[in-house]
Amino acid sequence: MSDAAASTASRPEDPGILSVRDLDAGYDELQVLSGVDLDVARGEYVTIVGPNGAGKSTVMKSVFGLTTYFDGSVTFDDRSIAQQQPEEIIHHGISYVPQTGNVFPSLSVRENLEMGAFILEDVPEQQIETIFDRFPILRERQSQAAGTLSGGQRQMLAMGRALMLDPELLLLDEPSAGLAPDLVDELFDRIDAINEDGTAVMLVEQNATEALRRCDRGYVLVQGENRFMDDGETLLADTTVRKEFLGG
Amino acid sequence: MGMNITHDTIAVRVRERPTELIVGLITTLFLADLLLKLQGTTVLLFDTHILGGSIGLSELFTYVLDGLIVGIAVGLAGIGLSMTYSILNFANFAHGEYLTSGAFVGFSTAAVIAGGSGIVDRMLLQSNPGLELLSTPIALTAGLIMAAISTIGLALLLDRLVYKPMRDAEGISLLIASIGVALLVRYSIAFIWQTGRYGVTGSATKVTILNLVTLTTHELTLLVLGVMSMIGVAIMLEFTKLGTAMRAMADNESLARVSGIPVEQVTRLTWIVGGGLTGIAGYLFVLESGTIAFNFGWINLLLIFSAVILGGIGSVYGAMVGGVLIGLVDKLAQVWIPSDLTRAAVFVVLIAVLIVRPTGLFGGVKTA
Repeated sequence: MSDAAASTASRPEDPGILSVRDLDAGYDELQVLSGVDLDVARGEYVTIVGPNGAGKSTVMKSVFGLTTYFDGSVTFDDRSIAQQQPEEIIHHGISYVPQTGNVFPSLSVRENLEMGAFILEDVPEQQIETIFDRFPILRERQSQAAGTLSGGQRQMLAMGRALMLDPELLLLDEPSAGLAPDLVDELFDRIDAINEDGTAVMLVEQNATEALRRCDRGYVLVQGENRFMDDGETLLADTTVRKEFLGG
Repeated sequence: MGMNITHDTIAVRVRERPTELIVGLITTLFLADLLLKLQGTTVLLFDTHILGGSIGLSELFTYVLDGLIVGIAVGLAGIGLSMTYSILNFANFAHGEYLTSGAFVGFSTAAVIAGGSGIVDRMLLQSNPGLELLSTPIALTAGLIMAAISTIGLALLLDRLVYKPMRDAEGISLLIASIGVALLVRYSIAFIWQTGRYGVTGSATKVTILNLVTLTTHELTLLVLGVMSMIGVAIMLEFTKLGTAMRAMADNESLARVSGIPVEQVTRLTWIVGGGLTGIAGYLFVLESGTIAFNFGWINLLLIFSAVILGGIGSVYGAMVGGVLIGLVDKLAQVWIPSDLTRAAVFVVLIAVLIVRPTGLFGGVKTA
């Protein structure tokens, strides 16, 4: 995998499905991002790393219409989505998994998945089966309330819900947060598998070393601006990046 | 060995939560007293009557039945309140006025359809239209439907005018706004119908079921429609897509948004279902009691709130169960205290339950 990543040019030739240009965004009056540029190619695996408060999650939320837009452009599949609401954006093929509160605790596992496909007229049984094949534990627990799942299982359910519409791009906000270390590896394997099946992944991670090792390309975000962009292995090897953002 | 462990645990529990023990002891005392009363045994201590006495089984049965009737009405009225609390995140103090307005519009409609002289007088309920299920069934049915429709209309109108512009406000701001709404609606009703208390029903026919229960047709209507509405709500919440979406929104509104659930549409549906049920509940309240006044919803709001809190605020099933429990307590308390004081018993029980389970009976398990 790392070989494939290393061969990718520092900026993809294909402008990609997602393209963020010169984006200024934030929350209400507060501007968090200034002039962020970011691309995701079809089927690509992109990671955003950076210190706390750098605006990593804000970039992701901005793509999904959850922040206040100030300036710049966000295009997905040649369509401007910069000022659209999540309800509209989900129709274009982007799904988002928030960092916390990413399942409906009183709903059953199956109902959680069904809610992921709310915008479809009928419940896509086929897709539920596909997700159960991907995460067999969810099939076992399908009638159980999501609130009774363990942290790792919840994270799978959260991804399963987001995959219900078979999106082109999956946005994952710190999926490893709060997971036991031995589960983190398993989680990254699962994200790899989702990506290998053709879904582009945009990942925000505090577990930067592991995320950069796995992804195609990485962005280092500092104080709301992107500072470095390269393939994951190169970023990992970069002394400045290592020293300042990856803890040596 | 096993005994020791159990003993230790009980001892620790008693030390940590002594109130639980007291509540448990008092409950046991009341149950023992009730059993003694049923048996007709009186326990005297130094010539003072301390426990027991006598109560007939049929008398007790009447209390239970009356309790169920009040309980179903309160539970039904609580559903809408619980829904707005869990899905829209605020305690709607105007909820009582939804009951009142539904009942007034419903009974005015029924009075007009029932016929007689002076349509305006009938609409304003100036003379008792003597409505009764068996003699004026069409008028009463039309009234019920109008009670539901008008309350849905009122709920949607007030949402559009007051609550929607405040959608992102804190629960406390919405609560204060709803008190304003309550006053506005209550005195609008008083402006139209005046502040009197009006009789609206004739004496209802009594029916006996299986030689066991005797109740009026109006009480029977309340029980049947109330239970059917509750079952209907449960089916909607559990088995329909929009019902599931309502529960999802009650769980986590922002996740509902990012899942593509149309939050505004679900909100509107909440008002429609909650408003319709509340209108029906208000109408059935009045059908059973026989009289109507501009402030009856407001007066009963405290009872409805206690049902909702007893059941675990935000839980629809909790509201149903809480309502029935409160009705039963309200009537069964007559075994021990004069009927004028039973409201106090309701609140004592409410406090006792909250001491043992601070989140209410169904609290923590949100079911929309």
